[in-house]
Amino acid sequence: MSISDLEPFLVAGSSHLYAADEPALPPAESSLQAPDSQSTNDSRAKVLIVDDQRLIADTLAEILSNAGFDAVAAYDGFDALDKASRFQPHWVLTDVLMPRMNGVELAIAMRKNYPGSSILLFSGQAGISEILQEGSSQGYQFELIAKPIHPSKIIERLKQN
Amino acid sequence: MATNPGKSGTSASPVLEISETLASPDPRHHLAALVDCSDEPIISKRLDGTIISWNAAATRVFGYLPNEIIGRSILTLIPPELQHEEAEILRKLRAGERIEHYETVRMRKNGECFPISVTISPIRDAAGNVVAASKIAHEIPERRKTEESISRLAAIVDSADDAIIGKNLNGIVTSWNKAAHRIFGYSPDEMIGQSILRLIPEGLQYEEEEILQKLRAGERIEHYETTRKKKNGELFQVSVSISPIIDGSGRVIGASKIARDISDRKRVEQLLIQSEKLAATGRMAAAIAHEINNPLESLINVIFLARQHSAPDSRVTQLLLTAEQELERVSHIARQTLGYYKDTGAPSTVHIHELIQNVLTVYNSKMMSSDIAVDSRFNDLQKISVSKGEMLQVFSNVVANSIDSMKQGGVLTITTRNVLSSPQEGIEIVVGDTGVGIDQQNLPRVFEPFFTTKGILGTGIGLWVAKQLVSRRGGQISIASSATTGSSGTTVTIFIPFAQPPSSPEGELQ
Repeated sequence: MSISDLEPFLVAGSSHLYAADEPALPPAESSLQAPDSQSTNDSRAKVLIVDDQRLIADTLAEILSNAGFDAVAAYDGFDALDKASRFQPHWVLTDVLMPRMNGVELAIAMRKNYPGSSILLFSGQAGISEILQEGSSQGYQFELIAKPIHPSKIIERLKQN
Repeated sequence: MATNPGKSGTSASPVLEISETLASPDPRHHLAALVDCSDEPIISKRLDGTIISWNAAATRVFGYLPNEIIGRSILTLIPPELQHEEAEILRKLRAGERIEHYETVRMRKNGECFPISVTISPIRDAAGNVVAASKIAHEIPERRKTEESISRLAAIVDSADDAIIGKNLNGIVTSWNKAAHRIFGYSPDEMIGQSILRLIPEGLQYEEEEILQKLRAGERIEHYETTRKKKNGELFQVSVSISPIIDGSGRVIGASKIARDISDRKRVEQLLIQSEKLAATGRMAAAIAHEINNPLESLINVIFLARQHSAPDSRVTQLLLTAEQELERVSHIARQTLGYYKDTGAPSTVHIHELIQNVLTVYNSKMMSSDIAVDSRFNDLQKISVSKGEMLQVFSNVVANSIDSMKQGGVLTITTRNVLSSPQEGIEIVVGDTGVGIDQQNLPRVFEPFFTTKGILGTGIGLWVAKQLVSRRGGQISIASSATTGSSGTTVTIFIPFAQPPSSPEGELQ
């Protein structure tokens, strides 16, 4: 089967999903004025990138910064929660398979503590479905995009809402 | 009482012979006691068959109490189909004959029939006329049981699903059960007395000599898998167990051979191996996904950054752009195979034709350049709940195939319609092309992973993934194709039921 340029569908997940018992998150435009953003008056959207592969986290942070975001990299879930408390990100872009705390656990913690943050999971593995299942069994569903993904598509996605 | 005492008649039964020397206050009571002590039923009857005495053992064996049976006909104890025996017995008794150890079947009160050996003696009156009969019954469980167990064994052998064959140490067949007839095709008449070699393919006849050698040594051969030949010449897979038959003196006198047709099992095993291979492939893919996709992600980011840092329009930028494009190709395959993107989100309700139009938009320029016309007829009036991402992938893969098959141009036909008849209601999508088609011999394999007819240009996963996704949604996908020049083309039919499949644990790729 030839795989041609099917970018729009094959890269990103389709729908942005929320747990039934939670209100849909506000679109990013409004989350730009996130309620407790006390750290800065900077109007740039703040993105926390979490990946235990430092190279990915660092390069994405740099790319997003270049693209006009206020981007910070974290290298595991605890690091991310720590940084999030100060940084108050609008977006958390996190890997799923990470040691100590996986991306879904991080996402759930973020949802609880920082409901104003939107969460985007990205993963290069099919094997994460149990982790996602675990999350959705607790009532949490998150948008997932597949690695590898071209940075321009991440930028596009972050600008979408 | 059982019989008349000795004085009034001759009693032939040893049980009833009383030594005159025994001092006994009342011979009648004495006899009665003896009769009652007997372990064997002792019954007496008149010549019309009426039972007139019944001892304790009779009660134990037949189940009737004396007051239940005395005065009734002896026929009560005889199974209906054997009641003709009684007339013959009575005839002999009237003639004064004694019947000894007559083996027959009698019936207990509960209706159970059991084997018995009876000795019946005439009882005479003072004038010497036969007036009654004494009957001593003797249960014969052991011997009958042996015979029964033999016939039961024979029945078991004959009802077995496996061929059970007896042979002597020269390899001559001595017994042949029904299953042997069914499996090998030879009747018992055709095989008994014949050499077992008839069943062994020419190339394997040496096996028999080895088997016989082992048997002579008293060894058993278990679950030996080999090939045997049917009467019609067909070869098939069998599993045989061969045990020596040993006589009372410990000598091996032959062998019993149990042969099981394992052709079906072999086929299933083959399928299992196949699916196990696929599962292993899937597991391996998942395992290396992490190791491939992450570095790819890093690489894409690094090159993207490098491009941002290089002078626009420079040779470096150009090269990096090419590198990025090449990486995107690799990424694409990696995502589809290794990362195998699964839309784990909840399904949404959509019009199928909208998804198809999305796909057509993406391929529009490609189709234009290949001179492909699109003929679409959308009649799916109803929305359906699907995973949008997965369905887009299915349609993309199928449409991409069609486009690839029409390098010289052609017509892509896409129809959708509601299917409202049984067994399932849903939406049927038919994607047809006028491309080169797929050879008939390849058609059964197109849904296999890594099977491609596109040479190095194909990855062999498109239709496989499509099938996985459609199946997971509870639908079906089928393909028809003709490679005949002039009328070639391929049609893929996809059916998605409105009903959601029962929620199953996330099916991994198989």
